[in-house]
Amino acid sequence: MSNNAEVVVIGGGIIGCAISYYLAKRGTSVICLEGSDHFGNGGSSRNGGGVRQSGRDPRELPLVMYGIKNFWPTLSEELEVDCEYHQDGNLRLGKTEKHKQILTGLTDRAVKVGLDVKMIDGDEVRRINPYLSDEVTCASWCPTDGHANPLTTTLGYYKTARKLGVHFISGEKVVELKKVKGVLRKVVCASGNVYEGETVVLAAGYESRAIAETIGIDIPMQRVLLEALVTEAEPHMFDQMLGTAEADFYGHQTKHGSFVFGGSSGLEGFTKDNGTPICYSKTAPCICRGIMKYFPNLAGAKIVRTWAGWMDKCADGVPVLGKVEEVPGLILACGFTGHGFGIAPGAADQIAELITTGKTTVDLYDLRYDRFHAKI
Amino acid sequence: MKRYDLIIVGAGPSGLSAAIEAAKRGLKVVVFDENEKPGGQLFKQIHKFFGSKEHRAKVRGFVIGKQLLDEADEAGVQVVLNATVIGLYQDKEVVVKMGEEITHYKADAIIIATGAAENMVTFPGWTLPGVIGAGAAQTMMNLHGILPGKKVLMLGSGNVGLVVSFQLMQCGCEVVALVDAAPRVGGYGVHAAKVARTGVPFYLSHTIVEAEGETEVTGVTIAEVDSNFAFIPGTEKHFDVDTICLAVGLSPMSQLLKMAGCEMEDNPKRGGQVPICDKYGRTSLAGVFVAGDVSGIEEASSAMIEGRMAGIAASEYLGYLGKEEMDTEMAALDQALEGLRQGMFAPKNRGKVIEKTEEGIEISTSLLKNGYVADDEIERFPGVTHKVGVHPVMECTQNIPCNPCQDACPKGCISIGENITSLPIVVEGSECINCGMCVASCSGQAIFLVDEDCGDGTATITIPYEFLPLPQEGTKGVALGRNGKKVCDATVVSVKSAKAYDKTNLLTMRVPKEFAMKARFFKA
Amino acid sequence: MNAVNDRSRDIGPFIPGPDDDMLICRCEEITKGEIRKAVHEGMWTLTEIRRYLRTGMGLCQGQTCAKLVKSIVARELGVSPAELEPATSRVPMRPIEMRVFANEAKEGEDHE
Repeated sequence: MSNNAEVVVIGGGIIGCAISYYLAKRGTSVICLEGSDHFGNGGSSRNGGGVRQSGRDPRELPLVMYGIKNFWPTLSEELEVDCEYHQDGNLRLGKTEKHKQILTGLTDRAVKVGLDVKMIDGDEVRRINPYLSDEVTCASWCPTDGHANPLTTTLGYYKTARKLGVHFISGEKVVELKKVKGVLRKVVCASGNVYEGETVVLAAGYESRAIAETIGIDIPMQRVLLEALVTEAEPHMFDQMLGTAEADFYGHQTKHGSFVFGGSSGLEGFTKDNGTPICYSKTAPCICRGIMKYFPNLAGAKIVRTWAGWMDKCADGVPVLGKVEEVPGLILACGFTGHGFGIAPGAADQIAELITTGKTTVDLYDLRYDRFHAKI
Repeated sequence: MKRYDLIIVGAGPSGLSAAIEAAKRGLKVVVFDENEKPGGQLFKQIHKFFGSKEHRAKVRGFVIGKQLLDEADEAGVQVVLNATVIGLYQDKEVVVKMGEEITHYKADAIIIATGAAENMVTFPGWTLPGVIGAGAAQTMMNLHGILPGKKVLMLGSGNVGLVVSFQLMQCGCEVVALVDAAPRVGGYGVHAAKVARTGVPFYLSHTIVEAEGETEVTGVTIAEVDSNFAFIPGTEKHFDVDTICLAVGLSPMSQLLKMAGCEMEDNPKRGGQVPICDKYGRTSLAGVFVAGDVSGIEEASSAMIEGRMAGIAASEYLGYLGKEEMDTEMAALDQALEGLRQGMFAPKNRGKVIEKTEEGIEISTSLLKNGYVADDEIERFPGVTHKVGVHPVMECTQNIPCNPCQDACPKGCISIGENITSLPIVVEGSECINCGMCVASCSGQAIFLVDEDCGDGTATITIPYEFLPLPQEGTKGVALGRNGKKVCDATVVSVKSAKAYDKTNLLTMRVPKEFAMKARFFKA
Repeated sequence: MNAVNDRSRDIGPFIPGPDDDMLICRCEEITKGEIRKAVHEGMWTLTEIRRYLRTGMGLCQGQTCAKLVKSIVARELGVSPAELEPATSRVPMRPIEMRVFANEAKEGEDHE
């Protein structure tokens, strides 16, 4: 197999796999390199499955709206895998006046960008989801939001792109990017293998920072450990995606019947790990307590698994997407800050469009690499 | 957060042994076990163990369990039951589920002694109710007093399959066949022989084609396999059964170690995914030790020694024991462990075909193929001799690390010698007083007291007998041969039960003298 | 492990087998055929198989099927089972009710 392709994609998560897919679909030759042993091994397989517009920063909102309109509804057929996509709305729940303020702020911003989202009261919340406790007094409601299965979706992109001829290699950790005559061309791996492409896409989550550094680019992001858990299968209860104003938990009931919930302990950003995303002993109990306040009748559901993942938290909370003026040939697609799953199809398609046509349908200007400035 | 010197996960043979060693040296030790009863597998083991005195040989497993618990109690170990360790986190923190709550504990050292779980094999119908693990059957019978079924087929001729088959019969189940895809019996020959002589047919190079039944097992079909384990058409055999027991190996339950970030390896010789550790159980995580089956599948006897080693290593790690003292203690334990890892079934010999004993005697091919030593093979083994009057006949034909018989005889009739794996021999010029201690002490039930010619045309044979109801003196029945087939009529002369025999009854039967070297079991 | 693994390597076509409908993961009801097909769709690691099909993600967390899945995947890839790294183990070791997991004892008691 050749080590050359038109595009070398670094990172085999949903972003890298989806970019590879949309490029291959446009007839571009692609090599996709994954540093770990498994495709979809980072945040792609560790998130809560939200495909959501509400609650997002207006700068990235158009991209996710584009994806929900054009890709999500038909993704299962396209990838020949059950992505378990449900478009049954998103409830972002609040219990206090402060929560209401947070939610109202988010809602107002989204409405300005053209999103169908509104504030509703506790009774209306329980009409939509009768299992919620009386503690819930308000919520933002976005009926076009939803959720999907991150595992099958990510691996579905991988599978279908592989079928289209994308050359996927795992266990290939990138250690250096090198220019040839002023243009980025070479991708050097720890194995000693060197890959070459006319364009190099960096979609390796937080790892992107160290890789970009080898070519003098610094993306301001942090690695933050987030945790999630899953219950045994339960009888069907509801189809909405859920979140809370304070982000104490978020998640949904899956097609399988289990509940997947992510959440936080408040110690995020300050936990330590042993080199793998390992759970913190205090987090899962805290998530459970959070869930039970909203869903008292899930108290008896058995947790079968907990896990952790790192998010690539960008300084301003939205991804870095697009070309880098200083390094011709480099395209960044990282810094998704823990909400990269739902936005992946739209973002990946637009990156593929950018590479193949030089322009994009959705304006990516607000997400450019050059946007970071000091506050004063 | 509550902190101990040492937290041990698992109150089985290795965990308890580790706890005793550590507590004796002054460590504050707690042992968590998810079960309602301590002892791990020990309390299911109603048979007598192999080994030498230091390995607690000829003591039944559940008695060893009681001994360990008493010792642990005396040493001040806290054993907490119904306590499930749900996670091993960073900084040697464990989270334990007890009742309706979880508790966080830390320790300066941790020993993981979680044991192993049973493997499964697949065949059409393997998910039907009635297909169970042999270990599960043992748990039902020996811990809960529940009969797993009435008619059972056992798949797997390793020690677990053989021992559990025998126990099923002791419970009153009928074992219709003992089946193994391998061409040779995997477990100790003596275990196989005691099953075979009761009439259980062995089907080596056979495996299950299908478990039959709509809602539960009602039957099973087996067939012969070729050297590539493919079925040979036309060799199918059907049995009506309600239970199929699978004794197809164990896998270490090493999940806690993996989740904590311990370096692991996949080692088929140790049974699967195991932590990388040194011989005293030190893992890649400082202060985290392992002992017993979780670090590699072996016997309870070796698990107890490994446990003691880990307990001593943890004591040294925490400064309760000097290095020199540790080295001295370990040297003795090394030797004890080495002693158990000798012979034909030693871990280093796994997978090898051994054709001759250490003495240079050809191994019985019938034993490996059919589960019993054929009548024309038995005479070549040194424990089988002839003389006038009652004398021991020791049908011990493989080199295994076991020697209680030589200490059992008050007259010194039996010798194994320095090498614990040597076959027992009858000491020349010694005089048998027919006390029966050798018969009762043989963990393999392979010693018989035979008077080949009583002078009236009959012979008497004393056999170990562990079934209920006990036949009475005068009971007429049939004598079965080593192959479990009738050889002749027999009458019970006596049935002796003594405390020293430790629940092994000695049944003496009278048979025509020409069957003295053939009759080996009594059936009423 | 991080061994370079070229997912374009030819492992031959998927050939249906007579026992493809046999259940392997009983908790999640995944058959042998589904596992074999997934390998041919590119799922070459036990972690990918688990995420793609849910094998070993049920109540027993793979205690029963992990070795079975491993041998099926290894045979399909033409490698030794020992070369395939088992999927990660996760807390809790045993399924635990949410209300119990949530109920942290204030301070560990001494078991004396």
